[in-house]
Amino acid sequence: MHVPDGFLSPRITLPAWGAALPLWAWAARRGFGPSAADSLPVVGSLTALAFVVQGLAIPVPGGTSVHLLGVAVLAVLRGPAVAFVCESLVLALQALILGVGGFTVLGVNSIALGLIGPAAAWLAWKALGRLSPVVAAFAAGWLGMQASSLALALVLGLQHRIDPSYMPVPGRVTLLAMMVPSLTALGVLEGLYTVATLALLRKARLLRAE
Amino acid sequence: MRNEARRSHLALVAWAVAVFTLSAISDLRLLLLSGLAALLLFRRGAARVAARVLAVVAPPALGLSLVSWGWLAVTGGNPPVAPYAALLARTLVIAFLSLSVLRRVDLLRAAAPFPTVSRLLVLCLAQIHALRRLATESALGLRSRLARRPGTRDVLRSSGAVTASLLALSVRNAREAGEAMRSRGFH
Repeated sequence: MHVPDGFLSPRITLPAWGAALPLWAWAARRGFGPSAADSLPVVGSLTALAFVVQGLAIPVPGGTSVHLLGVAVLAVLRGPAVAFVCESLVLALQALILGVGGFTVLGVNSIALGLIGPAAAWLAWKALGRLSPVVAAFAAGWLGMQASSLALALVLGLQHRIDPSYMPVPGRVTLLAMMVPSLTALGVLEGLYTVATLALLRKARLLRAE
Repeated sequence: MRNEARRSHLALVAWAVAVFTLSAISDLRLLLLSGLAALLLFRRGAARVAARVLAVVAPPALGLSLVSWGWLAVTGGNPPVAPYAALLARTLVIAFLSLSVLRRVDLLRAAAPFPTVSRLLVLCLAQIHALRRLATESALGLRSRLARRPGTRDVLRSSGAVTASLLALSVRNAREAGEAMRSRGFH
C-alpha cells in the first residue's frame, strides 16, 4: 500500500513534504492540545495502537495475507486530525525502524494514507451514522481504503506524466494495480474490521468514553 | 555523549540529503555506481541488509514493473527495459542505503537535542512493545483454541476484539504516562 522510496522524484516529494509540515502542526494542535504532559502520552499510545493494528495479518484465499490500515477506526473514534498525526508517526517509525515505505515519500504517504483516507472514512461515518451504525462503519472502512488507494495511484500516474523515463509505469496500469485489490479484497476486509471493532467497543461501552 | 549525539545527528542529515539526491537520478549507470559505492561504504553487514532489501522492497517494485512491462508488450507496444531497470535499481539502492545507515544510528541519541521528539519516540516504542505483546498473546490464544488453521473470518473477528483490548490498554497507559509526566513537572 505504501509508495516506496525511489518511485517518486523530488519534484513531487518535496512539495508533498512542504504541504505535510504545516498540516502536521495544525493537526497536532487541533487534535491533542498544547500541553505536552497531556498530549504526548495520548499521541504515543494511539500511534502504537495504529502501528500494532497494521501488523495484524489477515489470511486471504491463495495462501497469502494482507494487513489492515486501521485508520478508519481511529478517524471515527478520535477524528481525522488525530488519525493524520498518528498514521504519519506510524509511517515515520516504519520507515526509520523497519525500512518499509520511505523517508522521501513520507509526505505523500502521510497525506494519502493519513489524511485523505481517514477524512473520507470520517465523512462516511458522519453522513451514514444516523441511518445505520453498521452500514456507516463498513462504508467508513471501505471508503477510507478506496480514497487512500486512489490518491496514491493518482500521484504515481502524475509522476509518469511528468517524466515517463523516471516512472515508466503508465497511470492506467498503476490505477488497475492499486484499485483492483483495494476494491475487491482490501476495502471489504477493512470495512468488516471497522464494523467488528466498533461493534465490540459499543458492546463494551468504550465507544462513548473514547 | 554530546559528540556521539552530534555524530548520529549528522549521519541522519547526510542520509536524508543522500536519499533525496538518489531519488532524483534516473540514469541506470549512475544508480549502479551509487549502489556499488554504498555497498563498499557499508560492507560490514551488507549481506544481511541486502537480504532484507530483497525480501521487503524488491517484490512490490519488481511486481509492478513486470505487470506494467507485460501489459505494454501485450497491448502492442515495445516498452524499453532501461527505465524499468532504473526504477528497480533506484528503489533497491535507496532501501539498502537507508537500512545500512539506520542500523548504525542510535535514533534516541540523534533525537536527544529535541526533547519533545525524544519523549514521543520513547513513549511510542514503549507502548508498541506493550501492545505487541498483547496482540501476540491474542493471536497465540486464537490458534490454540482452534483445531484448524485460523481462516479469514476467525482472524477478522478476533482482530476486532484485539483492537478493543488494545485501545483500552493504550488509553490506560496514556493516562498513567500523563500522570507520571505531570508529577515530574512536565507541562
